[in-house]
Amino acid sequence: MAASIAPECNDIKEKYDTCFLKWYSEKYLRGNTTSNDCEELFTKYKTCLNVVLKEKGIDSMLEDARKSTTKEFDAETLRRG
Amino acid sequence: MKVFSSTCTFDYSWEEVSTANWRKYCPWNDKSTHVVAVDTLSRNVDLNTGILRTERLITCIQSVPQWVLSLFGGSATSHVYEVSYVDPATKRVTMCSTNLTWSNVLSVREIVVYQPSLSDPTSSTQFSQEAKITALCGGWQKIKNKVEEASVERFSQNAKRGREGFEAVLEMSRRVFSEQREHDSNRLQS
Repeated sequence: MAASIAPECNDIKEKYDTCFLKWYSEKYLRGNTTSNDCEELFTKYKTCLNVVLKEKGIDSMLEDARKSTTKEFDAETLRRG
Repeated sequence: MKVFSSTCTFDYSWEEVSTANWRKYCPWNDKSTHVVAVDTLSRNVDLNTGILRTERLITCIQSVPQWVLSLFGGSATSHVYEVSYVDPATKRVTMCSTNLTWSNVLSVREIVVYQPSLSDPTSSTQFSQEAKITALCGGWQKIKNKVEEASVERFSQNAKRGREGFEAVLEMSRRVFSEQREHDSNRLQS
């Protein structure tokens, strides 16, 4: 699995990614789309990550990107779907 | 604006491809070394459609041409914001991305789609990619063209290496999965 932008978050990210991949291949793709196996790990990973995104000023870049792309990106999927 | 597009087919089922896609940038992929980090920002499943929507931050270190660095300043680290949608009902993965870095001078919008191939939908997957690259810097059209050309060139090199690297990830994923299955069935038998 790829590393995190924040080395201090690598451990929890690795745990979360492993959990997600298992859920994705064994549950989600088999029709069990609503189960929420990895939520706790994800919350911990996000808490770790968000500190670093803020420090590096990436959080505001992301906010801008969200504002300018969300509608366009969501529409892209609907159009193709 | 310049458009870069490409398509190719992977000889793996859509389920395998869409799973391996989550670890496209892992150590098994020794070709896409410009990607140094991939972080998941948010993830949710739409209750009505079952579509899994994921936001990720992708961090790259590029060897940027010196003239580009002199022109725009900045560092060789760049960030990409990606939103992906998995629709298990139609078996389609759509990944949309945009550059966060240098967004005041250059806009790179990419859309990648993975879906079962028409000729062999159960065991092969079609990949299609389209990127629109627009230089936004005011001023000379000549410079804009040069910036766009250099970006398209880099994009197409990365795309080629990305394909090669992803093939390696697919092969390893299949091997690990079958070993895991064997391990599980041995355990059941003993």
